[in-house]
Amino acid sequence: MRFHPGFISILAVIAACFIVLPLIVDLGSSTMNILILLFVYVILSQSWNLLGGYTGQINLGFAAYFGCGVLLTHLLWKSGIPIYLAITVGGLSAALLAGVIGLPTLHLRGAYFAIGTIALAEALRIVVGNVFPSSLSLPGGYASNFNVFPRYYLGFGIAVLAIVSAYGLVRSKFGLAMVCVRDDEEAAQVTGINTFKTKFIALLMSAFFAGLAGGVYSFNRFYFHHISAVFEPIWTFEPLMAVVIGGAGTLIGPIIGSVFLIVLSEIFVQTLGEAHLIIFGILLIPVVLYSPSGLVGWIGWLRRAVGGLTMTHDR
Amino acid sequence: MFTQTIAYGILVGAMYGLITLGLGLLMGVMKFLNVAHGTFIVLGGYVSYWLFTHYGLNPYLSIPLVIAVMFVIGLAVYKVTLSPLLKLPDVGSRLNSSMLITFGIIYVVDNLMTIFWKPDVRSIVAPFTGRSMEFFGTKLSITGLCGFAVAIVIAVVLYLVLGRTQFGKHVRAATQDAEAASLCGINVQRTYLISSGIAIALAGIAGVIIVSSYSISPNSGLRWLLVAFVVMILAGEGNIHAIVPAGLILGLLEAVGVFIVGAPYRQVVALVIFIVILIFKPQGLFRKRRLTYG
Repeated sequence: MRFHPGFISILAVIAACFIVLPLIVDLGSSTMNILILLFVYVILSQSWNLLGGYTGQINLGFAAYFGCGVLLTHLLWKSGIPIYLAITVGGLSAALLAGVIGLPTLHLRGAYFAIGTIALAEALRIVVGNVFPSSLSLPGGYASNFNVFPRYYLGFGIAVLAIVSAYGLVRSKFGLAMVCVRDDEEAAQVTGINTFKTKFIALLMSAFFAGLAGGVYSFNRFYFHHISAVFEPIWTFEPLMAVVIGGAGTLIGPIIGSVFLIVLSEIFVQTLGEAHLIIFGILLIPVVLYSPSGLVGWIGWLRRAVGGLTMTHDR
Repeated sequence: MFTQTIAYGILVGAMYGLITLGLGLLMGVMKFLNVAHGTFIVLGGYVSYWLFTHYGLNPYLSIPLVIAVMFVIGLAVYKVTLSPLLKLPDVGSRLNSSMLITFGIIYVVDNLMTIFWKPDVRSIVAPFTGRSMEFFGTKLSITGLCGFAVAIVIAVVLYLVLGRTQFGKHVRAATQDAEAASLCGINVQRTYLISSGIAIALAGIAGVIIVSSYSISPNSGLRWLLVAFVVMILAGEGNIHAIVPAGLILGLLEAVGVFIVGAPYRQVVALVIFIVILIFKPQGLFRKRRLTYG
C-alpha cells in the first residue's frame, strides 16, 4: 500500500484535529463517549480486518477476544492493578486465548473455521455467564474522580497504534504472505509460505488489538449488568460489517466503515433503536455481491470518474 | 431417571434433525452456507404463532400454511441475494460470500421482527401444552412427541422426494455436476430455485415445532443455528440423509452430558462435541453417500 504525500498530510491534519479539538472546545460528555466508542470500533474493525480482510480467514468468534479484554481489565483494575498495566494484560491474555482457540481451529478451511470459531465463542459466552451470574461493578472511589480525557486519549492512541501496526504489517514481507494465503492457500504453500504460521500470527495480532479495544471499553465503564453481554456475537458482527462495507483488505475501509456505523447508529438511536443494523444489513448484501472492495472502492471509482487526486490503494 | 433422560434425548434429537434439514439441503446442493437459517426458523415460528393467536389454528395444522409462506420467502431470497453468487467459480468463495450475505439477511430480518413484534419471548400455549403421556414409567410430553412425529414424517417425505421423483433426480444431478446436468437438459437454475424454497420452508416447519414446544424471540435464531451447525457437521457436509440420525445422536449425547454436568451447560456440551468432531472427524460420523441411489 502506497500513500501519496498529500494523503498522509490529510491524515495528519485529521489526527491533529482529534488531539487538539477536545482541549480547546468543550465537546460535552456524550460526544466524548461517542468518540471513545468510535475508537473502540476502529480498533476492533482494524484488527478483524488483519485476519478477515488480509488473510481471508473469516473469524466469527471475535467477540471472545474483546470480551476477554473487557473482563480481565475490569477484574485486574478492581483488584488494584494500575489501569494501563491491566489493559496491556487484557490484550495479552486475549492473544493467549486466541492462541488456544487458534491451534485447533486454524487447521479448518474456509467456512469451517468460521463456524468453529463462533461455536467456541458461544461456549465461552455461556460459561462466563454461568461463572459471573450477577452484575460486576467497580467500588465508588473509581467513579468519583472520573475524567474523560485519559480515556479519550488512550482510545485514540490505541486506535492510531492499531492503524500504524496494520500499515507496517501489511507493507512487510509477512503482509505479502498474508495476502497470498487469502488469494490461494495451496499456491502459497507451494511457494514455501508456512500458511499455518502466517494465519496464526495474524490471529494473535488481531486478538491482541481486540483485547486492547476491550480494555478501552472497560476503562470507560464502571458497571456491567451482565458481563456476558460483552461476549455477545454482536461484538463480532458489527466490526465484520464495518470492515466489509468499508472495504475488506484495505487500511482505510475499516475506518470508513466504523465511522459510518457509529454515525448511522447515533442518527437512529433516538427514533428507531436498532434500525441502523437494518440499513447495514441491506447495504451489506449489494456490497458483497457487486463491489467487494466496499465504500473504498466507490471512492476509487469516484476519483477515477472525476480524474482528480492520485491516491492508490491495493486490492 | 436414566431412561427418562434417554427418552428426552431421543425426542429432542429428532427435533435437532428437523432443524438442520434446511441448512443441510442448501449446503449440500448449492454450497451456500445460510447463517440466516436460525432467523428463518424464528420467522416460521412467528407465522405459526400469529395463526394460532388470531385464528386459533392448531400449530401442527398450520404447518401447510407455514410451508407455503416460507417457500415463497425462500424463492425471493434465492432470486434476490443468492443466485448472483452462482457465477463465482470456486466453492470456497461461494461459501464465504453466501455467509456474508446471509449475515445481512439476519440483521434485516431480526431487527424488522423486533420492530414489528417487540423483543418479547413468545410461545404457543395450546390446551395440550405441558401435558404428558406415560409409557412404561417414562413421561413424554405431548409437544415433544408431536415434534418427533413431524420430524420423522418430514425426513421421510424429503427422502422420497429426493430419491424417487423426477425433481429429486434433477437435484442430485445438479449437486454432482451442475454443468453436466445443464448439458443434459436439466434446468439447473429452476432446480436451485425450488431447492432454496424447500430449504427455507423446512426452516419454517422447524420454527413451528420450536414455538410450540419451546419459545421464540426475534434474536433467538443464533441458538438454533448453532445446533444446526453441530448436527450438520456430525452428519457430514452434504450428507442429507444422515441428518436426522445425527440429530438423534446429538440429542442423546447432550442429554447424557446434561445429566452429568448440569443444565446451565447444556449448550456448552453440544458445542464441545462440535469442536471435537470438527477437529478429529471433519468428514462427519457417517459414511458419505452422495445422494446416489434410487
